[in-house]
Amino acid sequence: MALRHSPRSVAASVLATFLVATPCAVRAETVPPEELRRELDAMKEQLQRVQKQIKEQAEQIKRQEDVIQKLTTQKAPTAPGAPALAPAPPPAPAVADEERLKRQVTEQIMHQIQPQLAAANRIFPSQFNPAIGLIIDNVASYGEHERGNFQFRAAELGISASVDPFARGYAVITGSPDGFDVEEAAIVTTSLPYNLTVKGGRFFADFGRLSQVHDHDLPFVNRPLALDNFVQGEAQADGVEVGYLVPWRQYVHLTAGAYNKIGAGNDRVDNATSRDFSKFTYLGRAATFFGLNDSNSVDLGGSWAYTPEVAIDNGAHRTLAGADLTYRYTPLSQAAYRGIVWGSELIYNQEDRPVGGFSTTTSATSSVTLRPGLDDGLNFIKPALAISDPTKPLIFKRRDAVGLYSYLEARLSRRFTTGFLFDYAEDIDHVTGATESYSPYLTVWLSEFQRLRLQYTRLQQPGNHENQFFLQWTVVIGSHVHGFRDR
Amino acid sequence: MTRTLCTLLVTITLGIAGQGWAAEKIRVVTTIPDLADMTRQVGGELVDVSSICTGVEDIHGVPMRPSFAALLNKADILVLMGFDGEHAFLPGLLEAASNSKVLPGAPGYVDCSLYVRPLQIPTRIDRALGDIHPQGNHHFNLDPGEGKDMVRAIADGLSHNFPEHEVVFRKNAAAYLAKLDAAIERWDQEAAPLRGKKVVSYHSGMFYLADRYGMQSFGTIEPYPGVDPTPAHTAELIERMQQAKVDFVVREVGYPVELAKTIADRTGAKLVEIPLMVHGVPEATDYISFIDYNMRTLVTAAHGP
Repeated sequence: MALRHSPRSVAASVLATFLVATPCAVRAETVPPEELRRELDAMKEQLQRVQKQIKEQAEQIKRQEDVIQKLTTQKAPTAPGAPALAPAPPPAPAVADEERLKRQVTEQIMHQIQPQLAAANRIFPSQFNPAIGLIIDNVASYGEHERGNFQFRAAELGISASVDPFARGYAVITGSPDGFDVEEAAIVTTSLPYNLTVKGGRFFADFGRLSQVHDHDLPFVNRPLALDNFVQGEAQADGVEVGYLVPWRQYVHLTAGAYNKIGAGNDRVDNATSRDFSKFTYLGRAATFFGLNDSNSVDLGGSWAYTPEVAIDNGAHRTLAGADLTYRYTPLSQAAYRGIVWGSELIYNQEDRPVGGFSTTTSATSSVTLRPGLDDGLNFIKPALAISDPTKPLIFKRRDAVGLYSYLEARLSRRFTTGFLFDYAEDIDHVTGATESYSPYLTVWLSEFQRLRLQYTRLQQPGNHENQFFLQWTVVIGSHVHGFRDR
Repeated sequence: MTRTLCTLLVTITLGIAGQGWAAEKIRVVTTIPDLADMTRQVGGELVDVSSICTGVEDIHGVPMRPSFAALLNKADILVLMGFDGEHAFLPGLLEAASNSKVLPGAPGYVDCSLYVRPLQIPTRIDRALGDIHPQGNHHFNLDPGEGKDMVRAIADGLSHNFPEHEVVFRKNAAAYLAKLDAAIERWDQEAAPLRGKKVVSYHSGMFYLADRYGMQSFGTIEPYPGVDPTPAHTAELIERMQQAKVDFVVREVGYPVELAKTIADRTGAKLVEIPLMVHGVPEATDYISFIDYNMRTLVTAAHGP
């Protein structure tokens, strides 16, 4: 016992001496002796209390050791007349003692660690705060005509959490050189019957494939012209959408939606102004998936967005339709190291457009309207504006236009992917010819949360052929969830 | 012609719709085949089990196939590893599955880490430490002792969801646990030569196995979880391994062979390849044969020249 106590006592004494001596040395010049004496007395009392506690604990441990010793050395009583070598069952009192001892030890340990357990389980109101992640996207660009630019493209704050047992909510708030914008803020039901899901608020409408992907999540640096000119940026929409997962083993998903408009940069319609039902945009989409085998698969989708009456299109209807196909080769045992993705989308737009295009004085859209705040600085990738004479009355004609992109991407290792994007877009106004671009790119994943991308684009548009270079640096900090649409 | 087309359409529709689950059974989807095997052992004839992973995947990079969402849509119970092990694919699939029965927090969401004693709980939650899992390392299925905890969690989950079959589940679980206990006793004896061996693994998949059998986890080829090896880290690791005389370089199935082999050659350590899941190699047809395979592979390497 003395040996057990000795080091602790010595350490405690040294500590106490140190505690007593140090403040005195520092404060001796300024503090009156009476106060120092009071502090010294208080510390002595404290030290005595600690010593007493240590002694009590040591005695308790000794008592328990004695009991254990007694139990382990205790022999079972031999029944009279029984063979001396026959194994005897352990006596019931010994078992009971052992159980009691175990219980005592457990209770004592639990009693001792209870404050720590309580501290670990402490609840804070902030624990209900949503998951928060921030994505920072920067692009350095150089073009033969537009020269170079370092562009802070966007900082996107993603927030998500369950609302209650029946819904979840999420928001993506973007800060860019043009200010702050709520890219998405939506409520999604989680427990509706019949495989139904309802989404409401501002979100990316279920149109096509890459239209639903944020700029920084694209496989390449810039959004393909086919999407930018026809959907006009991300498929941002204020409205409501109903999804239905068909209850089959075969994956088939159907969507119906009604929105003010589709397209973050689409200014045919103002979100802030009320409108008739005929001026909403209505959407239907069907998507399916075919697993050819464990490694090969095909995603297929068809989207159709219809606006019965577009005011600036002379009140005519607009149809925007798309078909998307994505083939994936993902060897299961090497999914992080090898793989091929071939993704293509074909977009078709039909609406009434003024002959010669809109004038710059008209607030109406053009096929080359930039998305607010996202790709300024990269606008040299856009075709030249077609502008009509503002003094003449507009004459509208029905216009069809087609755009498509197709890219092939190969994963070379966990760190490197490379790909090639072909992009083609007709002019919605039929003023200029089609624009094409060819973009090889290399992506370096420094980790799952940090990415560098180098891209060259050969842009061929009427009256302008240009070589462009991009270096993109994107990181994510904080919460990061792999959503279904990011697949 | 129209009638023929209609008949064909209806036939195809019914055919697609009719695929899949056996009637009257409890429909269970598991994330990995280990859990599928355990669930079959516990659920017996009452369950129809499908696994999302086939066993050869790296669980951090399982492709998020929409067909899995369709599978989860019809599930009564989802059995998962937990500790965020399935973060790469499960949250996205659940988002698309439209099945509130198996969402986190619902009774059908059966987390098998419930009774597991976690290892490698990070002392600092910081991405500077790589793709860490705040709740601890999730490769606990390699430790058969933790395998028993997984079985208990499955038995609890099935019983909680279908109390009318609890007696059967408990009985089956007890029988399987007894079988596991017998196997564990054998493995404990077989593993004697592994005690004290120093191990470097490609990923952090070996920690529970090493901990159980007294092996010393010396480090990983990945400098941080989920981060590809860098030349500087590899050079430093080789130097430390040479000084410490590390016995094994373990390459978990799904991770690159070349670098692991180079490091083994340069340090004199033996290269051992082990699966992280059932069906990761053809010999690992169920959980017991999976542990058997890993044990045999390691012990053979320990005895080898």
